[in-house]
Amino acid sequence: MLKAILKRELPGFNLDVELYVNHDLLAILGPSGSGKTMTLQSIAGLCRPDEGCIELNGRVLFDSEKGIFVPAGERRVGFVFQNYALFPHMTVVDNIAYGIRRLPRTEAGRKIKALLELLHLEQLGGRLPKQLSAGQQQRVAIARALAPDPEILLLDEPFSALDTQLRERLELELLKLFEVFNGSMLIVTHDLVEGFKMGSKIAVYQSGKIIQCGSRDRVFGEPVNRTVARLTGVRNQMDGEIAHIDTGFASVRIPAWGSEVRVALRDGSQQIAVGQGVVVGIRPEYIEIVNNEGPNVFPATVLQVVEGIASVSYRFHVRADSAERHYLNAVIPKSEAMCFREGEVCLLRLPPGQLIIIDE
Amino acid sequence: MPESYTSPLLISLMTVLTATVITFFLGIAAARWLARYNGRMKNFIDGLFILPMVLPPTVVGFGLLLIFGTNSPVGQVLRDIGVQIVFSWPATVITAVVVAFPLMYLTARGAFEQVETNIEDAARTLGASEWRVFWTVTLPLAWPGVASATVLALARALGEFGATLMLAGNIPGRTQTIPVAIYFAIQAGDNDRALLLSGIVLAISFLSLLAIAYWKGRLPRIRIIS
Repeated sequence: MLKAILKRELPGFNLDVELYVNHDLLAILGPSGSGKTMTLQSIAGLCRPDEGCIELNGRVLFDSEKGIFVPAGERRVGFVFQNYALFPHMTVVDNIAYGIRRLPRTEAGRKIKALLELLHLEQLGGRLPKQLSAGQQQRVAIARALAPDPEILLLDEPFSALDTQLRERLELELLKLFEVFNGSMLIVTHDLVEGFKMGSKIAVYQSGKIIQCGSRDRVFGEPVNRTVARLTGVRNQMDGEIAHIDTGFASVRIPAWGSEVRVALRDGSQQIAVGQGVVVGIRPEYIEIVNNEGPNVFPATVLQVVEGIASVSYRFHVRADSAERHYLNAVIPKSEAMCFREGEVCLLRLPPGQLIIIDE
Repeated sequence: MPESYTSPLLISLMTVLTATVITFFLGIAAARWLARYNGRMKNFIDGLFILPMVLPPTVVGFGLLLIFGTNSPVGQVLRDIGVQIVFSWPATVITAVVVAFPLMYLTARGAFEQVETNIEDAARTLGASEWRVFWTVTLPLAWPGVASATVLALARALGEFGATLMLAGNIPGRTQTIPVAIYFAIQAGDNDRALLLSGIVLAISFLSLLAIAYWKGRLPRIRIIS
């Protein structure tokens, strides 16, 4: 169990967060400069918050009121740095051994052997870090952090230096590692896909504050405000007003489009009332191109087309009566639609189950 | 070689080795301290440390005379315990340290600042004390720079002339270092002696530069278990 209440004032930036993590894999998601790394550094004892307290499994690591500051080396907190920060002048084995030199030699040897096996580094023990690939370096960094049996593992943007293929493999390996690791893991990322894949819980950061923290499905399915929605990939957001509510559905009037959309309501979700101003959001991946008119179907003009490998990204202009332009972004799998060109008109369906109502 | 040649050589070597060892630790300590110190006096102290490098040697020598002369408080305390610095061998070491220190300090500080904070932090999270972080991570990673700094300091100490002459004088067999001996050899018209002594300085200085080239980019291996 980790409890961290952190306040730190810097010129032009204030960190003010509260985190509670209980044997979870928590992804800390947010733009760069939002205080994610500083949170990890504070927990690890690498920087000192102005105020607050940190407790790990009942041990007080920091308490500004009581003047307690346990040094980094005594916190039992494992840290995997963004660029791995391996010791370039030590072999893989010595890197891993660095944190356990007080153990008896045979025990240290056994432990290193086990870690080399766990992270598939058996053949590389005698190499120097510069003789390793990026993926191998990351595994050494994880092995080194695990060696002193930390009670929590902090990973700062662990995948940012890797190419896509390697990234996906190592993400899977890290998830497997969490199963055998007896404690919580905190993963900092600015990549929402990665945050979604890695975190069973997600904390969304913005300018030094946590704007939403909760289970992955809750954060991605019911973002508390526009910012969380945008940071979790809800790139289409329309201002609207609740027109009426049926069982399980709400109709939201979108003045800019001059029409209404039907939104499926989630169980036990937020309180809404007729006449309330809300934002309706949908991820680009959920928009469909259809052939026939119907409920929640709107004509739109293609403004921009970017062809990907398996999907096509469109930017649409919704054909509203008003002179203003209202855009929709959509990512359509290639098999489902022929490729439209700029200027063409097509019908877009916004599935009611995929629309999100965000309180304003 | 007759004794008149070996004597300045031996004195210079003794002086340079002693001064380099002192400068090494002083320079490293100062560099590491100021690399982390963030107070308002930082630029002032930095300037003070580098000052001997830009001052004329006569000013340094005069300053040292003022500090260690018998009329100064320092000089009086030393005289009370029976130590006289002016015109003694330790004076050659003191001047060498003072002129070599800025080079050691500047180069070592640059080398320490180049070491990635993340790597030092990694050692900290792995339970290392600040002392261990310094000796197993910071210093080895800064070693190419620190080694160059040491050699530069050594070469500078070897070449020191003006301030040495003022504080230590020119006492053959006691304070006469090679540069001082060269100066007085030329004054006395003994060009052969000046040439030979110059050749020695040239050889040592060039070897120093070769040593710097050798150390560049070479990190010392640290072993923990393997």
